[in-house]
Amino acid sequence: MSENIFEVKNLQKWFPVRRSMTDVLKNRLSYVKAVDGVTFNIRRGEIFGLVGESGCGKTTTGKILMKLLEPTGGQMILDGQEVTHITAERLRKYRREVQMIFQDPYASMNPRFRIRDVLEEPLLIHKVGEDHQARLQMVAKALSEVRLQPPEEFMERFPHMLSGGQRQRAATARSLILNPKFIVADEPVSMIDLSTRAEILHMMKLVQRELQLTYLYITHDLSTARYFTDTIAVMYLGRIVEMGDPDDVIDHPRHPYTMALISAVCEPVSGKVNRIKDVPIKGEVPSAQNIPQGCRFHPRCVYAKDECRNEKEPELEIVEGRHLVACRRYKEI
Amino acid sequence: MKLKDLRGSISEFWNEFRKVKSGLVGLGIFVFFLLLLIFEPVLAPFSETNTRWRDISYWDDNPQSAYPIWVNFFSAKKYAKSSVLKDPQVSEEAFGTNRMMTYTFEYDYQYDIAPSDLILKIQGTGAAMMDLTFTRPDGETVYLTSSNLKMVEGGVSRISVDKGSKSEAYDFLGGFESRDNMRKFQRSSIKPAAILFAKAQENMLIDPEPLKGKYTIQAAILLQRPEDTISNVELVVPGRVFGLLGTDAFKRDLFSGVLAGIKWALLIGLLTAIVSVMVGVIYGVISAYLGGWKDSAMQRVFEVFNSIPLLPVLIVMSAVFKPSIWNLILIMCIFYWTGSVKTVRSMGLQIKEETFIEATRALGASNFRIIFKHIIPLIIPYSFASMALFIPGAIVYEASISLLGLGDATIVTWGQILRDAYTGGAVINGIWWWVIPPGLMIAIMGMSFAFIGFALDKILHPKLRTR
Repeated sequence: MSENIFEVKNLQKWFPVRRSMTDVLKNRLSYVKAVDGVTFNIRRGEIFGLVGESGCGKTTTGKILMKLLEPTGGQMILDGQEVTHITAERLRKYRREVQMIFQDPYASMNPRFRIRDVLEEPLLIHKVGEDHQARLQMVAKALSEVRLQPPEEFMERFPHMLSGGQRQRAATARSLILNPKFIVADEPVSMIDLSTRAEILHMMKLVQRELQLTYLYITHDLSTARYFTDTIAVMYLGRIVEMGDPDDVIDHPRHPYTMALISAVCEPVSGKVNRIKDVPIKGEVPSAQNIPQGCRFHPRCVYAKDECRNEKEPELEIVEGRHLVACRRYKEI
Repeated sequence: MKLKDLRGSISEFWNEFRKVKSGLVGLGIFVFFLLLLIFEPVLAPFSETNTRWRDISYWDDNPQSAYPIWVNFFSAKKYAKSSVLKDPQVSEEAFGTNRMMTYTFEYDYQYDIAPSDLILKIQGTGAAMMDLTFTRPDGETVYLTSSNLKMVEGGVSRISVDKGSKSEAYDFLGGFESRDNMRKFQRSSIKPAAILFAKAQENMLIDPEPLKGKYTIQAAILLQRPEDTISNVELVVPGRVFGLLGTDAFKRDLFSGVLAGIKWALLIGLLTAIVSVMVGVIYGVISAYLGGWKDSAMQRVFEVFNSIPLLPVLIVMSAVFKPSIWNLILIMCIFYWTGSVKTVRSMGLQIKEETFIEATRALGASNFRIIFKHIIPLIIPYSFASMALFIPGAIVYEASISLLGLGDATIVTWGQILRDAYTGGAVINGIWWWVIPPGLMIAIMGMSFAFIGFALDKILHPKLRTR
């Protein structure tokens, strides 16, 4: 068993853009480069956080890992096995090994199914459990794993009869019921009340320790990422710009984008509440269809120089230990 | 638990349905039709309507083209009702081996317009001679006919005054009517019954006044051999009004016919609508779910079917194949399923983007499972509404095909009745009660389903009930 449960190398996902007639005639192809060369390793049993603003490609990365989307390029290795392009038969097995928790617990369950049916469905699909009774027992067990007590009561309810937190617990139970190795959690708490967020994250962490799971935790929220993850990767426009231990990345950010993200976090501390923050960033996110030449962050970077515009895009380089950054001027900043 | 949920959701649905008035009207009419259908054996005056609709002998005792009975309520002159006189006074005289049986009927005539005929029905065996005498309240006696009867076991001999006594009636007329008036009529074209029940005076043929009172009809039958028998002598008086909806030119009771048409209309409507909506829903969902070039290809196939006009195809198909009701339903289904495809596809496109579909896919569910367990259940409410809206169309198409003479001639449908009315000259002869009831039934049944469909649409469509 290797140390890394998931290895992703230079992963790419380009969506073709619908072309006009003249584009077709001129043989001009254009793509939205949602994910444009992402490389990372996820260690067994860790929580890997993928952070970035909307549209940076973090959800697309998650869906590629879930095999809901086919990658355009790159390589994926799960547990030492190549899974970039796999057969339908291997996919069935893959679906048992890799599970997903969706962002919106309101929408991720069929409104006409009871919680019991929602949780029994994966068992039916993968033909787990001899009969209905056995499956119901497994459902009850999964519900108690996510601390929905008493399970018998929740099993008979419809999703709309549950609170957001309870629903997300039920959704988590659905992903756990097949005993996966790896779970992609796509902003699992962003739609949940602040008051229950910590509770859900705590539950997820407990479950992770009990069952030795590995999470890919996708979020735009730096504070939960810091609290929850073991490694943080910051994405910008389809690429990872900084990666490392949460303490290193959040407390000593090296990439100007990470710095901007961190300074944008609201702090409910007296004296700072009403101040309009001076965020060291300019402009808007460029379209993923027209990624800037050179360093892709240069148009928004307050430290950008000519070399950032004209020279090749910087690769991730080691700052110290596991802390990596993709900025050629990080030492000067 | 399951049953309780079902009952709960039904009562919830009913509470919403109750608020739509037009839906309630439609449902009321539909229930009324169902009751008529269930009680058809009790309600239909002629129990063998379904099997012997086109058997002329079955309807022989009815008046031809008689008004519905309720016409008397609205008319100043009362039309004679149809009746059957079953209990004659019998007397028997013996002359050696010959026996003379005399059957005397009394008919109380209190109408303004005379009955259309008098029919004597005799059962028996062997041969006999018969004289029919008609005595009026004013004392006049008319010898109607003398005939030889040859009777067979089980058969019925019918002596019709309208057919057999024209000459005798003409001679009776000659005694009172003026010479000028007599010249206007030929012996063979007069209506004997109209003369027999009119006051004996000048102009009794042109402008007859009714002679009300007790009439006596006497049938004297001479049996020559001892083994010959006579039984069940009846006098049928076919009136000028008959049954709830009158009779047609072939003497058929239209009420029985219209009643028999209900089940076929329901069958055609429901079966066509259910089959074609089911096919359309599955097709539309699959097309939406697969997407890409498969979707495009399926949409082109759909457009081909959609752009073929149904009526000409139905006419050609009915001409080529044996025009049976099942063929007709099949052909209608083949061209009708396209109706719901576009809407269902657009709903499918919307539903397939829902997160729970993606979540199910992430669990490894097959396309089959996603389509049939997750998408189609959400479209079922819509499909009920669209089924209800499809039914009237199917009924009208069957009627159109029947009206063109290409329908199934072995069953009684409203379209078939209309077809007979068309060929039987209902319009020229002003037999409105042959045309309006079946036409109205088609319209009312169509309306009831349209109302139900609109109500369902109103309740179910806006929300789609995804959460």
